[in-house]
Amino acid sequence: MKIVVLVKYVPEPTATWKFAPDLTLDRGAVEGRLSELDEYAVEQAARLQEAGTASEVVFLTVGPAKAVDGLRKALAIGGDSAVHVTDAAMHGSDALATSLVLAKALEKTGFDLVLTGMASTDAEMSVVPSMVADRLGINQATFAGALSVEGGTVSIKRDSEGAVLEVSTALPAIVSITDTNPEARYPAFKAIMASKKKPVTTYSLADLGVDASSVGLAAAAVKVTSVTPTPARTAGTIVPDEGEGGAQLAEFLSSRGFV
Amino acid sequence: MQMVRFVLGLVMTVVCLGLAGRRLMFLYRLGRTGQPVEPGRTSDTGAAVRAELAEVAGQRKLLRWTVPGVAHFMVFWGFMVLLFTVVEAFGALVWPSFQIPVVGNWPWFGFVEDLFAIMCVLALAIFVVIRIKDAPKNLGRRSRFFGSHLGPAWFVLFMIFNVVWTLLAFRGASINAQEVGPSGKMRFLEGAFASQWFAKLFEPLGQHTNEILETVLLLLSLAVLLVFTVFVTYSKHLHIFLSIPNVAYARRPRALGGLLPVYSNGKKVDFEDPGDDDLMGVGKIEDFTWKGLLDFGTCTECGRCQSQCPAWNTGKPLSPKILMMTLRDHALAKAPYLLATKGEDGEPTTALTDADKAEAQRPLVGPEGDETASVDEHGARGVGAVPFDMLWSCTTCGACVEQCPVDIEHVDHIVDMRRHQVLMEAAFPEEAGVMLNNLEHAGDPWGRGASARMEWAAPLDFEVRQFGANGEETIPDDVEYLYWVGCAGALDDTAMRTARAVATLLHEAGVEFMVLGEAEACTGDPARRMGHEFLFQMLAMQNVETLNTAGAKRIVVTCAHCFNTLANEYPQVGGHYEVVHHTTLLARLVAEGKIAPVHRVDAATTYHDPCYLGRHNRIFTAPRELLAAIPGLRVTEMERTKEKSFCCGAGGARMWMDENLGTRINLNRTDEALGTKPDVVTAACPFCITMLSDGVSQRQLEGTAAETVQVADVAEILLRSVKPEDVPTPVS
Repeated sequence: MKIVVLVKYVPEPTATWKFAPDLTLDRGAVEGRLSELDEYAVEQAARLQEAGTASEVVFLTVGPAKAVDGLRKALAIGGDSAVHVTDAAMHGSDALATSLVLAKALEKTGFDLVLTGMASTDAEMSVVPSMVADRLGINQATFAGALSVEGGTVSIKRDSEGAVLEVSTALPAIVSITDTNPEARYPAFKAIMASKKKPVTTYSLADLGVDASSVGLAAAAVKVTSVTPTPARTAGTIVPDEGEGGAQLAEFLSSRGFV
Repeated sequence: MQMVRFVLGLVMTVVCLGLAGRRLMFLYRLGRTGQPVEPGRTSDTGAAVRAELAEVAGQRKLLRWTVPGVAHFMVFWGFMVLLFTVVEAFGALVWPSFQIPVVGNWPWFGFVEDLFAIMCVLALAIFVVIRIKDAPKNLGRRSRFFGSHLGPAWFVLFMIFNVVWTLLAFRGASINAQEVGPSGKMRFLEGAFASQWFAKLFEPLGQHTNEILETVLLLLSLAVLLVFTVFVTYSKHLHIFLSIPNVAYARRPRALGGLLPVYSNGKKVDFEDPGDDDLMGVGKIEDFTWKGLLDFGTCTECGRCQSQCPAWNTGKPLSPKILMMTLRDHALAKAPYLLATKGEDGEPTTALTDADKAEAQRPLVGPEGDETASVDEHGARGVGAVPFDMLWSCTTCGACVEQCPVDIEHVDHIVDMRRHQVLMEAAFPEEAGVMLNNLEHAGDPWGRGASARMEWAAPLDFEVRQFGANGEETIPDDVEYLYWVGCAGALDDTAMRTARAVATLLHEAGVEFMVLGEAEACTGDPARRMGHEFLFQMLAMQNVETLNTAGAKRIVVTCAHCFNTLANEYPQVGGHYEVVHHTTLLARLVAEGKIAPVHRVDAATTYHDPCYLGRHNRIFTAPRELLAAIPGLRVTEMERTKEKSFCCGAGGARMWMDENLGTRINLNRTDEALGTKPDVVTAACPFCITMLSDGVSQRQLEGTAAETVQVADVAEILLRSVKPEDVPTPVS
């Protein structure tokens, strides 16, 4: 069984993000990293390979040149090789365009099972797995709290409010993994050095047969018109309890519409 | 008879020296299986000679413990002088009237010989009392001899006693049996008072019997001496030979302060482009350097390290002594494999027993969570030679290295083993992974990120100059100090108070300073002490580039760990600065009158020496000078202070690991501090303050500490005396 894991190289969440004049995130001004939420999918793939369930694990990303660092991190955790789709025309692409390019790349790599994280830590939309499934016409099982593969079937446990849904679907399929799965292992330096020797193939849009006009900022379905920073958090209200604490707390909450 | 005694003596000597020599050759070959030492260790002859004079001849470190120190001094010098009587005994074997040329029959010479022999016996009596009083069966783990080989230790004392009395008895009989020597005078007649006691005792037996007695006692004393020599080469008592090279080749000035970089085959490992065969720390016993193996062989099991170790004293499975013994046992058990002739594939060409093969396969460190890994020599073998929890209990406080009379480098060995565990096996206490990830991604252990690094300065009523804020590319000339705030000072609520206090005091004193703000990152101390040298190198090179680009020359630091790393470790990666701890700078400013502590601070206090400020960097007086300068402040020292300070529990990246074995180190220290009845407990490191604050809070919760007890940095107490209005209401 061949697993392809879709991973995203995201801006470092703890860093200060800056925006370019075209109102896209200035990726050059901020450090990046492999999305922490995708690390859960990477770890699952590595485990399936170690258990003998998967025969081959490939990591796939679409992103700027630096995104190869994210692939290297994934390769330090496990897997055999990686594919990096990078093209200047991708700049400013939305989820629709990203899913198009991923689908085309997946057709090229071939797969039995596609794994992804539950969301990216920058855009946090969680829609790409479904979009890819739709474009490829394959089954999808999203927000897996746990997964297992047997024969040609992938089964997941999906935690929802009040119940755990068990969902099974036939391969080929795409599964998104939640952060209730085991955390990614801490790669040893030895594994980091070994990851540098694993092959990474780079494709442009032309290599995948994607028309450059269907992706990028101009083709995005949503236009960003302005960017303002979130106002700094102000000091909260401290209610000293002098016998009236409970009442004052209730009053505060109701005045803000919380209760 | 002369012929008989010569032949018997010769045979004994040849057999015993042969046995001892064979053993020493075996040990030498085993030591040679170790890695080369780093460059420069063996080349400073001057330092080696000074160390030999101070530590071997002067017994400097032993004498820190007065009673056992003096006793050991007496035995050591007793044996040095007894060497002359041994020469005389061997001489008498060949030539009955032999005496050492010139001085041989001077009365004072005989007197000195006998005096030192008697001193030896006195010292033995002291050792016997110590060994009975401090026996593990009375004191349990509190005994420094817990875990040591007790039988051989008693045997050594017994044999030393035998060596002394047989030599004296031989000399006594020799006085009676002696004919006139070459100078016409009889030996030992004057001065040698103890030998004369024996002479008096034997005199009534008559000349002939004394002649026989002389031969018998000579052979007996030589037999005792030779058997003892052979025993020593097979025992923990090897230090009488090995401590000399071990002290000569020890890391100078001491194996504390900065850690050594990772060396493989005597060369520094380049983490940007490591060689395929490079050793990353110590994963096998033969990965230690020969000095490491020499350390294990030299350990005398005296347990001074154990008595001071914070891990051992709180019931954890680490004693530096037992670790050394464990590594020695493992090296000896693996010796058949290590010394076997190897083929081209590196496999032994000679047949090994199954037990030898098993030992060769045995990992050095027990796998994580493996409770079967054991150190005992009786029961079934565990998986690894060193249990996982033993390795990870160390706080790198350096109390063991400080104490060791023969300069064993425990902390370096522990970090080297951690390096292999982390870099090659990714095996370490899981919870520390969060800190490592945070360092890698956010540049600080808490994962707050660079953008949060100036929050600490916001409440100050003056502007803290931030490098680059006004577009400067290098630090302006009017800036005297770059203030390295540190992750704790910038991000931890309690440590921020110290950072603000230091900034305010510098501002008051008119010292121009600047901070790096967002450009500062963790120095890498916790990563390095966990063994993650790769991450340390990344952080260090990033910081050194920042500092060198900014043209930093003088740096003031509030964190003892940052201080140690910047001052002692950054030179290894090209960062050379004049680094000063805030207590040193503030003490200087007070002395120069630039800071005036004029307001009374009516409080009782005690000062906790942070390991990385005190033991590792010898800064003991500056913080105390500051406290002494504050009017009204009453300082009471704790029992364990300065060089013998007890760790707070946060060092060696233990700050970021769970402490669920034994009792808590911080509570042990807190209780000692509370014993001085303080109003405020002071320290000079943010991590110590966190640990002590937690300890005091817990004791307050339990009702055993007064609600009013506070924990604060020395700088904050100084600020109370300088500008009381600037000190916020303390949180305890």
